[in-house]
Amino acid sequence: MFLALKELKYTKGKFALIISVIVLISYLVYFLTSLAFGLASSYTNAVNKWQSDRVIMTTDANDALMMSFMGSDQFNEINVDGTKARMGLFPGVINNPMSDVGVDTRVNVYFFGIDNDSFLKPSEASDLTIQGYDVVVDESLKKEGYEVGSMIAVSGTDTQYKIIGFSSQSTYQTAPVIYMAMDTWQQYRYSTTTPPNLFSGVVVRGNIDSLPSDLTSYTIDTYINTLPGYTAQVLTFGTMIIFLIIIVAFVLGIFIYVLTIQKTSMFGVMKAQGISNLYIGNSVVSQTFLLVFFGIVVGLILTITTGIFLGDIIPFAINILLYGIITAAFFLFGLFGALFSVRAVLKIDPLKAIGG
Amino acid sequence: MKPLIEMMNVSKDFLQGDNVITALKPTNFKAYAGELIGIIGPSGSGKSTFLTILGGLQKPTTGRVLLNGEPFSELTNDQKSKIRLDQIGFILQASNLIPFLTVKEQMVLYNKITKTKVDQEWMHELFEKLGVDKVKDKYPSALSGGERQRAAIAKALYHQPNVIFADEPTASLDTTKAFEVIKLLKRETKVLKKATIMVTHDERLLEYCDKVYVIVDGALTLREDNA
Repeated sequence: MFLALKELKYTKGKFALIISVIVLISYLVYFLTSLAFGLASSYTNAVNKWQSDRVIMTTDANDALMMSFMGSDQFNEINVDGTKARMGLFPGVINNPMSDVGVDTRVNVYFFGIDNDSFLKPSEASDLTIQGYDVVVDESLKKEGYEVGSMIAVSGTDTQYKIIGFSSQSTYQTAPVIYMAMDTWQQYRYSTTTPPNLFSGVVVRGNIDSLPSDLTSYTIDTYINTLPGYTAQVLTFGTMIIFLIIIVAFVLGIFIYVLTIQKTSMFGVMKAQGISNLYIGNSVVSQTFLLVFFGIVVGLILTITTGIFLGDIIPFAINILLYGIITAAFFLFGLFGALFSVRAVLKIDPLKAIGG
Repeated sequence: MKPLIEMMNVSKDFLQGDNVITALKPTNFKAYAGELIGIIGPSGSGKSTFLTILGGLQKPTTGRVLLNGEPFSELTNDQKSKIRLDQIGFILQASNLIPFLTVKEQMVLYNKITKTKVDQEWMHELFEKLGVDKVKDKYPSALSGGERQRAAIAKALYHQPNVIFADEPTASLDTTKAFEVIKLLKRETKVLKKATIMVTHDERLLEYCDKVYVIVDGALTLREDNA
């Protein structure tokens, strides 16, 4: 560490260059991770909020909960060891009926039809009764100027709902969720005041004992993976992040290797003096670690700063676990890069230093 | 008196294609405490082979090297490495200084490696003696040729080795500086009771040596007129 630090101090310029490359790449990686995680969360927040184990829909729906129609008979035939709840799902567009004419206030949303006493009701609304035209909405709508008591209108219709509360982290496929009573949802879904008593699916907390043959059950994870675009998006981001980390390993490995080769004669002299391979190798590895460390610390600071300033505009979410994994990967791959140089150090012949 | 370093019947052959080349013929050599020994010879005569075998950087084909009466050449590379670190000081033509350490840090490195405490008093004394106290916080690149070589001597002496190897210690120095350096080396060898073995081309330095050996075609002989 002594040698590594002293050299860093002496050749600041050279090391500043390589650190800046690591800063830029780690900034990009952390930023992409936060973006990917933020986006993925906005897909699934409302689903995770259920804290449930399984989702059931009709087999005919072909993985699309929205296309599933289930009746009370089927619901009753589902036997679970735990609790089950009916759930209606349909997308829609809302606008603010109080806004000035000509102002575009349209927002894409998902309407969740739930029973007032079910566990699907957001915890923030536990004291509220969701019934009639009273709805609870995701708090992201506050940014659009809605507050408790505001009315929202379903675009293209005369229907209006009244906001009686807000819930946090309630987005589904990146759109805010509007929780409403099941019968109100059915009226919206089928555009009639006398809708059929059909809903989309059933969410289960606990295990399923038996299931009618025309229904299919999904674990929450498989269900999330069937959400349109979710898997593709996670894979795309994941691939980019993994490749960037590998690129860092290469850049770092090549840089350290070139530096090591430049110092061959110096290392030879050191070996002749009796300084062990272990000490020299150690110094090369700790130098790599220092570079990675400085690089990612600055990268992290930049990411968090960006998050603070842009967090409202982009789906930016910090996940400590993911950050930890990526940081560990940076160090691991950096070590990989350094190992080439350690090998080169081992091969240096001290004899050459004496001019033999 | 026991020699600090001793070669017993050491020879070195190596293969070049199908031919066996003898780089060093069977050689006996002893160096005692307080001796400054000069080794001269034309290039390619085996000077380097001699020095590197003595320093444990090459294994002899026959014979053995004893350091302080203990077997040295038979040890493993790691063991030899350790012994070199403690017992041997190097002053090299190319300078044994590390470019990114100040003169003082060059000394401290030894303590870092051996996890020992810095001997401030001894370091200061050494710096005063060698006249590098003023430049102790400078990097090698900021030193003059003479200062650099004196710093290299300080480094070779700092860990109190028994044997010092000097390979062309005065190359790249002008006459005045070269004499300064050799006088220092001579004085410290006497005072600190080291054995210093110096390989050189520079005939002017030989008058300072206690003994001078000549190597020609791998054969080491004592030059009597110096004794």
